[in-house]
Formats: sequence, structure tokens, C-alpha cells
Amino acid sequence: MSDQLLKLSKVRKSFGTAEVLHGVDLTIKSGSHTVIFGPSGSGKSTILRIMNLLEEPNEGSVIFQGIEYGLGVDEDNTPRGKAVNLRRQVGMVFQQFNLFPHLTAIDNIALAVHSVTGKSKVDARERAASELKKVGLIKWALNFPGELSGGQQQRVAIARALSLDPKLMLFDEPTSALDPELVGEVLATMRDLADSGMTMVVVTHEMNFAREIGDQCIFMEAGYIAATGGSDFFDTCTNTRAQQFIGSVL
Amino acid sequence: MEEKPTLNFMWHLVWDYRVDLLKGLWTAVSVSITSLILSLILGLIFALFKMSKYSILRTISGVYVNIFRGIPALVSVIWVYFGWSLLFGHNFTVYQAGVIALTLLYSAFFSEIFRSALSAIHKGQREAGLALGMGRIRIFISIVMPQALKIAIPNIGSMYIGMIKDTSTFTVIGLAEVVRVTQTINSQYFQPFVLYTAAAGLYVAIAFLVDYLFRIFEGNFSFPNQGKITKFLSKKKHAQVRELIIKNS
Repeated sequence: MSDQLLKLSKVRKSFGTAEVLHGVDLTIKSGSHTVIFGPSGSGKSTILRIMNLLEEPNEGSVIFQGIEYGLGVDEDNTPRGKAVNLRRQVGMVFQQFNLFPHLTAIDNIALAVHSVTGKSKVDARERAASELKKVGLIKWALNFPGELSGGQQQRVAIARALSLDPKLMLFDEPTSALDPELVGEVLATMRDLADSGMTMVVVTHEMNFAREIGDQCIFMEAGYIAATGGSDFFDTCTNTRAQQFIGSVL
Repeated sequence: MEEKPTLNFMWHLVWDYRVDLLKGLWTAVSVSITSLILSLILGLIFALFKMSKYSILRTISGVYVNIFRGIPALVSVIWVYFGWSLLFGHNFTVYQAGVIALTLLYSAFFSEIFRSALSAIHKGQREAGLALGMGRIRIFISIVMPQALKIAIPNIGSMYIGMIKDTSTFTVIGLAEVVRVTQTINSQYFQPFVLYTAAAGLYVAIAFLVDYLFRIFEGNFSFPNQGKITKFLSKKKHAQVRELIIKNS
């Protein structure tokens, strides 16, 4: 139980009349590196966004460290945790970086630290600087996102998420919007993070990276988890659709 | 043969009555600035109503905007000054009536300006704030609003010039603004060409000044920041960050 960090059970999600997730069960263990891949529209981003309740599931539950979060009707009337409290423990990195363009790199991070932890602005900037240093961008602290390359922006976004000491990091296709030559620096940052023992869930099309760090591999198709496996998934997988998909992407 | 009338322009009147004309200008500016502040607040509230998930608020906002966007300033101020007193027996001063009339009209326009600026902010910005665990009000104040203001400021500037011009119609209720002052002087000397040219000059001068001021605001809301005000205000912060950069390098 103790190493079970996040559990999704029987999660269903519809947008309008179209159901995109048809009852998904998934457990994320502490320290594990889960990689999720699959064709467009298979529901992989949606499942990630349900993990921090950016999307509210229509059915099923999101349980983080034994506490159930989100709205919904609870049969035994036990109050559920608020989404904001879940999100404060879960970091997320987006495909489009989503840095705040009106704030410098350091203020992007310091705003989060100051407003979420209540630290003073001066202390928040100290923390922000140490996070920027970790991703190798301290020299760019006073630059605005528009003055940084895509790869640098994504590393600032990772630093911003890490500045709140998350217990789980979610990555939603973090390299898909990058020029090919910038992918490497972001993957290197993520690799360091994985090596440091951070629990990570990564939706990605970077199959080599997935093979390298993934110890729980999940292939999704049409709103279902179609195949799962451990770190040897890429060599031992018997699901033909998954094999085809891996073959077409690699 | 008809004799051509000799033109006798008494340009010295402009100088002689400079204090009265400038007082009139000050009244126009003061009424319009008060209205600007009030209508920005009201406009923002109606913009948020329009974007609300509750249909009743959206309807209220839609009706309000369509009513007051359609009423001319002249009609509005007559209604507020005379109509209100007739209906409710309470008299506004001419100054108050002018402010109320302008605020009602321009809050409708500002509501639309804010709505379009707010909806131009990519939803990923809100999501990033939510994902970090920030509260909704904080996201609005620190993330969405600064970016929306940058978009809205040039439009607000144009609207404000319109507000100053609309104060000229308040001469009908006796507000001593530029046109009223001009009329009063004119009734003594009958020098309409001279006096109304002076009035036009004052309006144009103030339009240039407003344009200049709003460009300064715009610079301070741009990123990377071009503004001297924000640069001055963030001096201390930048000093700390520069120290941090050296310490962490």
C-alpha cells in the first residue's frame, strides 16, 4: 500500500456524447517511471489530465496516497479531497510549455512558489534560482519566455513544476512541440529527474526514451489500455497493434 | 454691388479667456477620468458575467451591453439628469449626472473590449496555473489579467478619447466643460470661428496627450518590458535576481 502513490480505478470520461475513456484502471507506484503511448485520440493525454484533475472523470475514482479526490457523488458520503490539494503535490509539464509570457523565467517559478507555498517573494526567488540552476538556465533568469528557445522554455517549465516539491511529475508529450535538435536537452533533463528517483508518468512518442526509462509501459488504443508491461515491454510485447505502433514510430 | 464683410478675428480672446477655457478642459478631463475608472471596473464585471457559466449572468450582461452601447451620450445625460429627478425626485449635480451617463455608456464598450481580450488568452495559461495548484483568483489576477490588459490598453485609449469628446454634449445640462465655456464667451463677443477653433485645438491637444500616456502604459505592460515605470518599480527585485545569478553560476 505504502508504495502505491496514485490509483485510477474504472475511470470513464466523455466529452459531450463521445466517451474517450471506457473504464481505465491504473496504479502508479512511488519511484516508478510510467510511459504511456498510443495513436492520436487513444485517450493518453486525457488519462494524464485526469491524474491531476484538469479533467474531471465522469465515473471512477482518483486516489492519491489513499485519499480520493475530485467532485462526484460519494456513496458513503466521506468528503473527497479538493483538486487544488492534489495538484499541489503533482507537477505537470505541457506539450506547449505554457510558461507565462509576461513574466521572466525566474518570475514564472517564483510566482508559483510564492502563491502556492506562501513563501515571501524574496525567498521564492531564492528557490526559483536554485531550480533554474538545476536545469542549467540560471543565466537566463531575467529573460522572458519569448527570448528563450523551445527547449529552454520547456526546461523552465520543468523547473517551475519541480519548485513545488511534487511527489509525482506528469509529462504530456513534452518534446512534441520542439524542433528535433532541441529534443535532446529536454530528454536529458527528464533523464536526470528519473535517475533522482522522481515518480514520473510520461506520455510520449519518443520510443527510445520510453524504452530507456520506462519500468511500467502502457499502450493505449481507442480509450482502453490495450497492453501493459514492465521495462522489457518493447522486446516482449505480444500485442500486435502495439508492435505495429512501436514499429511505425521507431 | 454687395460689399464683402470684413473679417475681424479677435484671436486675443483665446488668450484673454485662457483660464476659463482651461478650467473647462479640466472639467471635461476630470469627469471623463472619473468615468473611465468607474466604467473600467463595471466593464470588467460585465465581461466576467458574459463569460460566466451561469446563463442568467450572461443574459444580464448581454442586455446591459446592448442597451447602453446603443444610447447616445446626449440622450443618456438628459435622461440621467432630468429623467431620474422626475421619476425619483432626487437631483444629481451636473457633474454626477455626467459621470453616471458616461459610465453607463462606456462600461458597455469596455465590457466587450475586456471580453475579447480575456478570451484571447490561451486556455493553457489557466491550466498551467491550475496544474501548479494556484487558486482561481490568483490565476486571474497574476496570469490572465496582465496579459489581457496588454491587449486591451490600446482600445481603452481610443475609447477614452471618445469619452472626453462626449463630455461636450453635457453642455445641455449646463456642465461647464469646454463647449459650454466657449458658448458663454461667444455670446459676449460673437466670435464663433476663433472660439470654436480654440475649442477644437484643446480637444486635439488632449487627444495627443492621451495617446502619449497610453503608449507609456502599453510599454509597461509589454514583454519583454519596454516601460520605465515597471523598470523603476522592479529595480530592487532585479538587483536580488542578479545577485542570485552570480551566486548560482
